[in-house]
Amino acid sequence: MKKLNKLFFLLAMSASPLVALNSHAQQVVTDSTLLDRITTLEQQVADQKPGESHFMVVGLATFGFVQNKTIFTPPGGVSSSVKTNSLANADNYELSPMLLWRHGKNFLVEFEPSFDGTTLGVNWANISYFAAPGLIIHAGYFVVPFGIYSKRLAAGWIDKVATDPAGFDLPGSDFGVGVSGGLPLGSMKWSYDVSLTNGLQLLPDGELQGAGVADNNNNKTVSGRLSLLPLSNSSLEIGVSALHGGVADVGSGYNNANVTMYGADINFVKTIDPLLINIKGQYNRINVNKQNYASPTDSSLYSFNNKTSSFFGQLSVRPIGLDQPILKNFELAYRYITYTTPSNSAWGQNYHESDFGLDYWLSWRTVLKLSYERTHALSTANSAIGGSTGVTDVNSIYLQFSIEF
Amino acid sequence: MKKINNKTWIMIAASAILVAIAINGCVESKLVAAKSGAQLWAENCQRCHNTPSPNSFSHEQWATIGLHMQTRAQLTDKEREKIVAFLSQ
Ligand code: HEC
Repeated sequence: MKKLNKLFFLLAMSASPLVALNSHAQQVVTDSTLLDRITTLEQQVADQKPGESHFMVVGLATFGFVQNKTIFTPPGGVSSSVKTNSLANADNYELSPMLLWRHGKNFLVEFEPSFDGTTLGVNWANISYFAAPGLIIHAGYFVVPFGIYSKRLAAGWIDKVATDPAGFDLPGSDFGVGVSGGLPLGSMKWSYDVSLTNGLQLLPDGELQGAGVADNNNNKTVSGRLSLLPLSNSSLEIGVSALHGGVADVGSGYNNANVTMYGADINFVKTIDPLLINIKGQYNRINVNKQNYASPTDSSLYSFNNKTSSFFGQLSVRPIGLDQPILKNFELAYRYITYTTPSNSAWGQNYHESDFGLDYWLSWRTVLKLSYERTHALSTANSAIGGSTGVTDVNSIYLQFSIEF
Repeated sequence: MKKINNKTWIMIAASAILVAIAINGCVESKLVAAKSGAQLWAENCQRCHNTPSPNSFSHEQWATIGLHMQTRAQLTDKEREKIVAFLSQ
């Protein structure tokens, strides 16, 4: 027995280097596969290395269907009505890619061409430099800071009803430079957004439009918005805006023509369980100083008080707190608009609009909208200079799909 | 170009100084300083559109979008930094 034990011991001793050798071989194999995998992973990580710059394309698309009935009633006359429908018109077709370049941590370039069904325009072509906390300096072609609609709410997937509110096109996009920023103020916040641009151009009938890339005069236009978010949860924002600049073409017969715009806006968004309550509103006033305009009918001079005002107020509710997966994606919206253009001008009218919207959110940035819109316009135009008089009522139904991609 | 007169220069200088003072004088309260990226995301992004889901974009894309949204919403720099950090997790 003792001998047998010894034999076993000897055998074991002689076999052990073999075992050790074998396990060492295994180790080498494992190490080299591990090393290979690490090298591959390193390569993959290097391929994904973010770098200092970043380019991305986002954008938005909106299309839909509109059916409307227009009823026109001439003064003291009999009304006539026209029905139309179309799959895409300027109000409900848009495709705008948004190209964004981030250059390091402090530069952002944005370029947004926009196809509206008839023309290929540009909404933004702008470079921003994040100069210091609370200070962004930017230059290029951008939406002029004035109110909240044009710069913040106009995108189809953001707007709760199908159309843009009438009377908020000005000041629009323009060429220039600007500074903006948001800053804390204890538990509140405030922000500023100011720009210097080419400005607006006064047309022969007293209307205004953007002057474009080559200014029509040597006056630049200053525009700006100041806002306060008085609640620490940022649910309420109140803003005031102003704009001033010369509007006459060089050498035109206008007498130091200039425009002054004032505006006020409000935005309140808060969940009062289970409803997400959303209130938005803006008031704009446009004053052009007293001028004489040439009548298109006989070139005689005429004048009018060139003041325009517009207002929109919008309430929308969404039962976001409900457990019901379908119901919580619906949103109900109501918007009211008044838009008053100068009486006795060629385009004077008192315009009112009521819009009802039922939206279904397919995702946070994809929406299907059903909107019913009623507009009523009473002309206050001067018929002696070719303005059309009477009352126009339009009822429209929109079915619209909008996506941010 | 029309010469910019002295009065205009004084106005520009005065407003630049005022803005500089205003920017430097702005500090956040303890309540605001303690807010997390998630809370700021929930409070701020819904002001204009629905609150975006963090899964919609990658880390790098959120850094770019953060700057873009700062130009639209005038977020404070701290808000943007915290929100982007939260969305990139
Ligand atoms: C002041 C309004 C406003 C606020 C607040 C806001 N956004 Fe936006 N957001 C916009 C607008 C407007 C667009 C559409 C871009 C455009 O065409 O101007 C947009 C677009 C986007 C997009 C699409 C990609 C892009 O960059 O255009 C994303 C993603 C986004 N926002 C995320 C956010 C996040 C995250 C927050 C919260 C920090 C936020 N937004 C807060 C107004 C706002």
